[in-house]
Amino acid sequence: MVKRRLFERGVEKVLFACAFLSVAAVLFITVFLFQRGIPLFRKVSVLEFLFSTRWEPTAENPGYGILSFILGSLWVTLLSLVIAVPVGLSAGIYLAELSDKRSSTAIRSAVELLAGIPSVVYGLFGIAVITTISRTVFGGSGYNVASAALVLSIMTLPTIINITEVSLRALPRELKEGSLALGATHWQTIVKVLLPAARSGILAGVILGMGRAIGETMAVLMVGGNAPIPPEGLSGMVRTLTMNIITDMSYAVGDHLTSLFTTGIVLFLFILILNLIVQLALKSSISGIEGDTGA
Amino acid sequence: MKKRIAAIVLALAALGAFAQMSGTYTFGGSTTVAPIAYAAIEQFQKDNPGVKISYEAIGSGAGLKSLQEGKITLSGSSAEYDAAALKGMVAHPIALDGLTVIINKKVTGVRNITLDNLAKIYHGDITNWKDVGGKNMPIVVVNRDESSGTYASFWELVCQKPFGKKIAYTKNAIVTKENGEVAVKVLATPGAVGYVGMAFAEEVVKAGGLELYVEGVQPTTANVIAKKYPVARHLFLITPPAPGAVEKAFLDFVLSPKGQAIVKSTDYIPLPR
Repeated sequence: MVKRRLFERGVEKVLFACAFLSVAAVLFITVFLFQRGIPLFRKVSVLEFLFSTRWEPTAENPGYGILSFILGSLWVTLLSLVIAVPVGLSAGIYLAELSDKRSSTAIRSAVELLAGIPSVVYGLFGIAVITTISRTVFGGSGYNVASAALVLSIMTLPTIINITEVSLRALPRELKEGSLALGATHWQTIVKVLLPAARSGILAGVILGMGRAIGETMAVLMVGGNAPIPPEGLSGMVRTLTMNIITDMSYAVGDHLTSLFTTGIVLFLFILILNLIVQLALKSSISGIEGDTGA
Repeated sequence: MKKRIAAIVLALAALGAFAQMSGTYTFGGSTTVAPIAYAAIEQFQKDNPGVKISYEAIGSGAGLKSLQEGKITLSGSSAEYDAAALKGMVAHPIALDGLTVIINKKVTGVRNITLDNLAKIYHGDITNWKDVGGKNMPIVVVNRDESSGTYASFWELVCQKPFGKKIAYTKNAIVTKENGEVAVKVLATPGAVGYVGMAFAEEVVKAGGLELYVEGVQPTTANVIAKKYPVARHLFLITPPAPGAVEKAFLDFVLSPKGQAIVKSTDYIPLPR
């Protein structure tokens, strides 16, 4: 009896240690990042770092302004969502509600494959095909905001499609049956009942996709042009926060190296804010649903 | 007979001295020479355990100055100094550095460019091929990232004369991290222009790129050696007139076939034999 209890307690401890490991990892990364990045602000003011576009880290009078890259990351990410959300939502709805078994199997395995393709392969595809299209449509070199956003939108599609489908399928049958029984058509049911009920999950999917887009490095590096200037419209070249870190990492020393960690902090804060938004949104939409059912 | 034995003993003693080379040495100088120096030092240290050498990439001028002041015992240089500047030091050519300008073949009509126009393209003053005798097509400038020795070389060889020593390339350029990436982007983008080490340019031309003549001269190793092709220069190691044993051995190693293979592997051109 005692032995059994000891075993139970041992298992509990081991599982707790595993769970704690991820917390520890986040803590370590945060501490490390801030420790290496914050010293930059002894030399450069926070305002200059965030709101200057002068990135000349190896000049005699060095400039460490990353506004161009913040704008680049925002532009590329938002634009990719503008493309990926409508397509992803539609595909998720189709898979959950409208497709027959055979086509849904085919589509689902295609989406899974899409999710498994390494980002460098997306980049190659981008150089070969997407930059050419972008060059024909927008002119210029083809290495621009539009190409980067298009590549990213394809990469975020699987996340959005999967989570949309799963959230729709997870809804209780009664919702759909009730709506149909009241005389609504299938389409009305989807738009007026199922989508609103599944909105928290769908939103989480979109934000997860957004996280992937903002953190993606290799694929955008290959099609974005990488010029350290603020993006000028769809046909302008772009360098994102991630691209800036990887481009300069191989040779940066001293303050320049520190500034890359500081860039990392900005990226980290971006992701943190995104996560907070998701959690807030989830909470409010869940309480919203509960309020609806309670009324 | 005695003489022969003496000679053998002397030779053995010399060999012994050679094998016993040891100590810590500081070399320094040109950043362009640095890739060759690093790779050569790595191999040299493997061949001569006990010798520790460091190379500080402080620039050709600073390298020569430190050498003259006795702070270092060997310096690398990408500049060709005259006797007055050398002040008794001896410059030994060890390699050639030639850069080829490659363009996408869809820019028809341009096969030759003047140094001045090339500088203006990379400074951002000329942005259309029609201004250099080609079709009306925007120029897509492909540049390297700042870590590249080629990035600095190209500025020194092409842009420094009209635009000064401080690097001021146009910001409106695709930034690439590798020779291979330059090639991919130039080959895939109509109107693109880029530059790569001459050794690598052959590959790009094979893959369908076009090399530009500069001032009417084709970028070939022969033209570099004949000093006809302007985007090229010699690289040197500079030593005191009577270098120490390790410095002498290192210089000989770089000039040996093994050393020249290292030169080639770092994308520079080995000396003609």
